[in-house]
Amino acid sequence: MIDNAHDSAGVVIEDLNLSFGDTHVLKGVDLVIKQGEFFAFLGPSGSGKSTLLRAIAGFGPTPTGRILIQGKDIADLPPWKRDVGMVFQSYALWPHMTVRKNVAFGLEERKISKHEIDERVDKALDMVGLLDLAERRPSQLSGGQQQRIALARTIVIEPKVLLLDEPLSNLDANLRIQMRRDIRELQQKLQLTTIFVTHDQEEANTTSDRMAVLDQGVIQQVGAPIDLYDNPANLFVAKFLGTANIIKGAVITEGSALVFRTDRGMDIPLNQGYTNGRSIVFRPQNVDVCATGTGASEAHAKLNGKVDHMEFLGSIIRYGVDVNGDVVLVDHAHKLGEAVFSVGDSVDLLVDRDSILVLAA
Amino acid sequence: MSFLFPSVQRGPAVAGLLIALFLFLFLAVPVGQVIFVAFQDASTGEATIINFVDFFRNSLFRESFFNSFYVASMSVVIASIISMPLAYFTTRFNFGGTALIQTLGIIPLIMPPFVGAVAMQLLFGSNGSVNLILDDWFGFTIPFMEGLNGVIFVESIHYFPFILINLSAALSNIDRSMEESAQNLGSNGMRLFRRIVFPLAMPGYVAGAALVFIKVFDDLGTPLLLNVNNMLAPQAYLRVTSIGISDPMGYVIAVILVAFSLLSLWVSMRALKGKDYATVQKGGGGLMKRDLRRWEKVGCYAVVILILVLVLSPHFGLLLLSFGTIWSYAVLPDAFTIAHYVTVFSTATQYITNTLLYAGLAALFDVILGTAIAYVVWRTDLVGRKWLDYGATAALAVPGVVLGIGYLRTFHNINVPLIDEPLATWWVIIVIAMTIRRLPYALRSCVAAIQQISVMLEEAAENLGATKTRTVWRIVIPLMSGGILAGFVTSFATAAVELSATIMLVARETDAPLAYGIYEFMQSAAGRGPGAALGVIAVLFVGVGTYISHVIIERSNKAREPKSIVAEET
Amino acid sequence: MKKFMTLGAAAVIAMSVASGTAFAADGTLTVVTSFPKDLTSVFKSAFEKKNPGLTIEVLNKKTSAGIKYLQETSANNTSDLFWASAPDAFEVLKGDSLLAKYTPMAKGIPDKVGAFPINDPDGYYMGFAASGYGIMWNTRYTAAKKLPVPKNWADLKDPVYHGHVGMSAPSRSGTTHLTVETVIQGMGWDAGWAEWKEIAGNFKTVTERSFGVPDGVNSGQFGYGIVIDFFGLSSVGSGFPVDFVYPEVTTLVPANIGIVKGAPNQAAAAEFIEFLLSPEGQELLLNPKIRRLPVNPNTYANAPAGFPNPFKDKSIGAAVKFDLDLSKNRYNVVNSLFDVMITYRMKDLTAATKAIQDADAAIKGKSNPAAAKLIAEARALVAKMPVSEATAGAKEFNAIFKKKRKKATDVIEGRQAEVEQEWDTQVKANYAKAKELAEQAKNML
Repeated sequence: MIDNAHDSAGVVIEDLNLSFGDTHVLKGVDLVIKQGEFFAFLGPSGSGKSTLLRAIAGFGPTPTGRILIQGKDIADLPPWKRDVGMVFQSYALWPHMTVRKNVAFGLEERKISKHEIDERVDKALDMVGLLDLAERRPSQLSGGQQQRIALARTIVIEPKVLLLDEPLSNLDANLRIQMRRDIRELQQKLQLTTIFVTHDQEEANTTSDRMAVLDQGVIQQVGAPIDLYDNPANLFVAKFLGTANIIKGAVITEGSALVFRTDRGMDIPLNQGYTNGRSIVFRPQNVDVCATGTGASEAHAKLNGKVDHMEFLGSIIRYGVDVNGDVVLVDHAHKLGEAVFSVGDSVDLLVDRDSILVLAA
Repeated sequence: MSFLFPSVQRGPAVAGLLIALFLFLFLAVPVGQVIFVAFQDASTGEATIINFVDFFRNSLFRESFFNSFYVASMSVVIASIISMPLAYFTTRFNFGGTALIQTLGIIPLIMPPFVGAVAMQLLFGSNGSVNLILDDWFGFTIPFMEGLNGVIFVESIHYFPFILINLSAALSNIDRSMEESAQNLGSNGMRLFRRIVFPLAMPGYVAGAALVFIKVFDDLGTPLLLNVNNMLAPQAYLRVTSIGISDPMGYVIAVILVAFSLLSLWVSMRALKGKDYATVQKGGGGLMKRDLRRWEKVGCYAVVILILVLVLSPHFGLLLLSFGTIWSYAVLPDAFTIAHYVTVFSTATQYITNTLLYAGLAALFDVILGTAIAYVVWRTDLVGRKWLDYGATAALAVPGVVLGIGYLRTFHNINVPLIDEPLATWWVIIVIAMTIRRLPYALRSCVAAIQQISVMLEEAAENLGATKTRTVWRIVIPLMSGGILAGFVTSFATAAVELSATIMLVARETDAPLAYGIYEFMQSAAGRGPGAALGVIAVLFVGVGTYISHVIIERSNKAREPKSIVAEET
Repeated sequence: MKKFMTLGAAAVIAMSVASGTAFAADGTLTVVTSFPKDLTSVFKSAFEKKNPGLTIEVLNKKTSAGIKYLQETSANNTSDLFWASAPDAFEVLKGDSLLAKYTPMAKGIPDKVGAFPINDPDGYYMGFAASGYGIMWNTRYTAAKKLPVPKNWADLKDPVYHGHVGMSAPSRSGTTHLTVETVIQGMGWDAGWAEWKEIAGNFKTVTERSFGVPDGVNSGQFGYGIVIDFFGLSSVGSGFPVDFVYPEVTTLVPANIGIVKGAPNQAAAAEFIEFLLSPEGQELLLNPKIRRLPVNPNTYANAPAGFPNPFKDKSIGAAVKFDLDLSKNRYNVVNSLFDVMITYRMKDLTAATKAIQDADAAIKGKSNPAAAKLIAEARALVAKMPVSEATAGAKEFNAIFKKKRKKATDVIEGRQAEVEQEWDTQVKANYAKAKELAEQAKNML
């Protein structure tokens, strides 16, 4: 069943099922991660993303299905024979060893000469910029430093795949941005197939080449961050990847025109091509807000409403506009001198028709 | 969430089987022999429960049962009252003599209770020093040592360290963020202690309290020495040794003791079930320690000193006795001499060397077994692994006398190859008895240690290429070292003064350990001094060892505490 | 040290060979004894000095535990000698055929001390010293509490001694058993037991070990102790502020030694017995820490002033003719009765006794026949025996108490626990009723 694409792939997961007792945590996971790719597992807590990562590393209950790394099935191997390096959420640095001993550990287990170990440890520590802390104990390091040591400890063994389990969640905001760039840079430099688990879509967007969105043990969608953002396959993905306007209703044909009639009885014109669907989705930045009576082109669907609330977010102003009972969010780029609408103002909304997605559920 | 049960492991399975075999041979079979008698009709040899019917029909036995229960419960209460402030002060505040206090807290354990009782009689007895002074000055006396009071008094002073040690360990493992978040939510002082600190330390406390309860419930030496007969253990002993094998009542009581102790162990295990209290995540932690204000310091020291005086009184009495010439119906001995020590050093050094050897070997076996069992139970999914824990812990519920009789009966017809001597009279059997009897202490300590290790630390090692075995050696054991050492010390110290099983098993004086030597000295008018001198040597000897190991633990803990927070990232 | 060195050898086998040969080569004499270290060490060092190459291994066990030890290990015996006080213990071992016959060669030892034969007529064990029971007291205690010196057992019944007396239980100490039996034989079953219960009504404690009594008196926990003479004499010898007296009703019994059947080192065992009975060995008994009465009358010539000499002072131990067979027959019943009526019911007994004593004090000098009758009833209730002498001495009844089934087919009726429960119920009720009556009597006065 292994096709050639799978041979060259970094990680292939086929029909992986896993349960804790009666609870099915992973349901029929199929996934192909390319060699050298930076791949994110994104999902809310309990979605199974960490369990999936741990299954790749060989921890937790034995799943059914196959896990191939560079073409080799590792599903039956114990963790220590898998050659996948994992960075734990809590870093899991051993408190009884110095930084150097921590980093050298994996190499020592591989029976490598003392000399080479020293060399590679120095190199790895240098790579994360902490060579001067080699003789410290983990408890004497800050969170960010511990994170880097955990990373160095893993990459020093030159794993076939690098697994990162929410590696940034214990860091403060500035450090997190710095770290994710550093990790990405390091990954690029080493051309290391990397899987990154996170619940933070911004983190996934900024670092990964592609990502898989998980919910309730099922992969919802796989693709590049922008593709997923722009073309979510379902409501869950649409909502999870950023703010979205979701309006319930049904697709109906009015003569030659295709219209989405909301449950509250408002019609929104649609582009051709949709036959059915229960909701439409469009993002706030694809809507423009203007004073009532402004003319609209064919490219836009025009809606009329009243400003319900507004938030000033710096570069944009987010309006909540009550359109016939549905509140539509609108992100308006804020420019100096431009008029700002107030709550209660009657406004027209111009929705980019191309941006309107019709989803089944 | 941590899911820590990977597939089949052969190494742990073999280790588990060997341990199970050892426990079967040296615990289950001998105790089974004794239990067998309890269910045997002495006249016909048939299986029967009539002996148990007799037991519960007998008002004396019912009364003994109640007394044992009462004494054990009250001892837990008093021991808790003694331990809590000591544990709290030393783990909570920057307290000058923390190491000293904790060492002193262990010292009672290294004194055989019957020796302690001798000294306590001299100090607190109805005509002891304290009451003579009270009578002289105020014209009244306090019956500290009368009847059940005396047993409770001696037992709580002797066994409170079980609570202290476990409670201190649990307290020092509480992540300070737990406490801080409680303070943040408006809780402080006693309320914080009661609602946050105590519940988090609960597993440690319950483990310690259960040990105290069982030890007191089964203890024989103290009630015997205080001539309190209306308790279960003395009744069992008196029946078995004076009436003998023909009377099944002693065995019935032994079975009831065993069953009751097993029950309370089970209750405490149930209470702890499903509570994951490994609150320390990243190697650091422990309660926030703060400096004491002056008046607080005075208060703390007053409480601590009061308790220490009480706790050290048996030692103080023993010391006086060992240096005193004649001490009779007087506040202090008539005069002082070093003659008793001369006697000891000229005639009794083999007791000391034997004790070093036996208790050292037993404690070594105990921590090896304890570590192995803790690992098998908490880190593997072997079928029936819990039973290793239950089995080893069940030794707690077996009174030493029962084990001793069981050994004599079981191993007397088994000759050790090459030396052609029955296993029951070979000195190694004493080591085995000590190992079995003290295994629960080492085991609890090892289990507590392994529970405190985040599984991720092991997964990280496996992930980097270390096999299970290598992970055990390089990660698990080093991280458990504090607990293992603590287990070694507890096992060693208590094995060094074990008497109830050894007294049955010592086959010749050259093989006798310290506690036996003291007991023997204490059997004559002229021997009390030398016996006390030997007791003092035992206390010093194990006390120094305990202090040293405590320093080691402190040092290794310190190495893991954050010394300074390094400046933020560049 | 040997163990440490052998431990260095890696293999357990090597270790066992080393220690095994070490024990066999230099001639070890293993002695199971109930005697304290003060006694054994003196004989051990003297004997080893005299017989270089021979080492004595002392195995200290309480008499009852020693018997049990020999019984349990008889299949694979490693002991050479059994060395203890109570002749009863030797009788038990003899009955179980765990002793070997031996006829000592030593001269000058008479047949009897007091009324008691020194050696076993069948030759299984021999006496080497004599001891008798008496009363010891702490002089500081008695001075502080202004208490009189007792002369006889009966004196201890006096209310002034209430709460000041200690004794060991006969089931715990073979020699105590002899004392209890002696008084019962001297006064008769009912009167003897009544005597004991009246004395016990003044008890502060019944100690578990026989040494617990001198220990309690020496340290002043209680003032008076019913003890065997060498405890009293050696306590005096050790410098404690105590004194000792033999009452009129006492019996002198020899302390004995016997060779264990199948002893590994029989020659050395015989050698040791001869040493014990030689003038040199007899003299060692006068050591201030030992103080036992030698069985060789000549030894008393070297005794310190005031040392009792039973061969000269005929009042010691001569008053009672002790019936060893009678004692042996009801041995276990007497022990059990004492425990049921006294040891385990101490609180009830002393409370009843106190009530009677108080009533007695109240009635003194007054005439109130009703109250006097109540007091007498109370006294009778305390004294009441749950079992008659005839029953207590009956073979079938005793069998309940020592049923050791020789064969699987042996069947014995009744169970000890059942009988004891019956006694206990009666005794407890009697004591409670006696207390009630005595209190009632006192209230009438």
